Amino acid sequence: MDFSFSQDQITFKESAIEFAEKVLNKGAKDREGKCEFNRDGWEKCAEFGVQGLPVPEEYGGLGLDILTCVATMEGLGYGCKDSGLLFSLNSHIWTCESPLLKFGSEYQKSKYLPGLCNGTLIGGHAMTEPDSGSDAFSMRSKAEKRGDRYIINGTKMFITNAPIADILLVFAVTDPTKGFAGISAFIVEKGFPGFSTGKPLDMMGLKTCPLGEVVLQDCEVPEENRLGKEGAGAAIFNSEMEWERSCLFATHVGAMSRDINDCIRYVKERHQFEKPIAKFQAISHKIADMQVKLELSRLVLYKVAWLKAQGKRAPLESAMAKLFVSESYVQNCLEALQIHGAYGYSTELDFEKNVRDSIAGKIYSGTSEIQKNIIASILGL
Amino acid sequence: MSILENIEKILLTEIAVGLADKKIDPEADLLEQGIIDSLGLMKLIDFLEKTFSIKISDEEIVPENFQCLNSMVNLVQQHL
Repeated sequence: MDFSFSQDQITFKESAIEFAEKVLNKGAKDREGKCEFNRDGWEKCAEFGVQGLPVPEEYGGLGLDILTCVATMEGLGYGCKDSGLLFSLNSHIWTCESPLLKFGSEYQKSKYLPGLCNGTLIGGHAMTEPDSGSDAFSMRSKAEKRGDRYIINGTKMFITNAPIADILLVFAVTDPTKGFAGISAFIVEKGFPGFSTGKPLDMMGLKTCPLGEVVLQDCEVPEENRLGKEGAGAAIFNSEMEWERSCLFATHVGAMSRDINDCIRYVKERHQFEKPIAKFQAISHKIADMQVKLELSRLVLYKVAWLKAQGKRAPLESAMAKLFVSESYVQNCLEALQIHGAYGYSTELDFEKNVRDSIAGKIYSGTSEIQKNIIASILGL
Repeated sequence: MSILENIEKILLTEIAVGLADKKIDPEADLLEQGIIDSLGLMKLIDFLEKTFSIKISDEEIVPENFQCLNSMVNLVQQHL
């Protein structure tokens, strides 16, 4: 076993921290208050190479291996305080670019990937519907083949990046007799007839990540924009969820690491009862527990990334990683707020925002409860 | 045990537990009948890869390869 990153991977991580701290944090507080997406930051991220991390150079990306991607995303999570921007980036990379790269035709890859990498196109995927969340494959959106195109009808809900997206990977039923195996995926451009999006929804956290409704009303999609074969939607969705659960949560690990450093700094400086509060076990044990959660989160995340790098399927491991990291992140954010007391509860600092942002991780990409269902099912229960 | 018997056994004991029939018609549409759900398919793929030492690509996870016992046997045979 080798638990170490290569020097290149460390360099990428350190560069990402430096880039995020210098470029992405300015004005983050204001944007949070205004629920404003950082488009300039998005473009700067593209210049840095974030959107193209796993995409081969021939399509405009950096072509990095998965472990280097994870190291870089961890660095971004450490340096960037705009969790909404990070969530937008993660959705763009793992639920749009990644499936395009894996399942796309040469035409689709050449047409969309360069723009997705250079920051001119914003992507996402549209799966969730008003009546289908955890039971994702019970969707009602339908795609009917007519000649050389599909006509899609349906409504998608809580779609990350929808209000700003140029393309979305839309899932719809092409064969209602086949259940989950009757779902197909389509690359839908915002300009396609019958495609519209609603206003950004006001959520509890991740306020700088625009998220909204997508309406497909007789939306015309050329056959060449179907991703993979008819009926491949479930496999595409499962594949992208595995990637997302393996990589998105690297930013959480980075953020957890930063929060612990902030807490350590604070408890050494803050004096009560004539000594630093770090000297009270009630405080130091909280930080010790936070560190254990961080270390275990790192290990489980790196293991999944390593499995994916070997080309292995990792449904059990990615579900465990997603569950553990997201739950640990919430617990650590709550402890960080508690350690900072009234200052932590104040909106002047980021600790209350971090709690709000972190809770989303227990819900998106499959709730904690669904991860437990997957784990139990694979165990034969 | 043949490939078909192997797959039938895992379907009856792990994927479609409680199925009244003790035999599965090799041509029966398991997707239409809802015998295989998405989690079941995940387990089935893991079983096929480990039992027959094969690697099934994500692109091969389409209805025609998992519709019935015979289509799964064909898929495995293509990899052997």
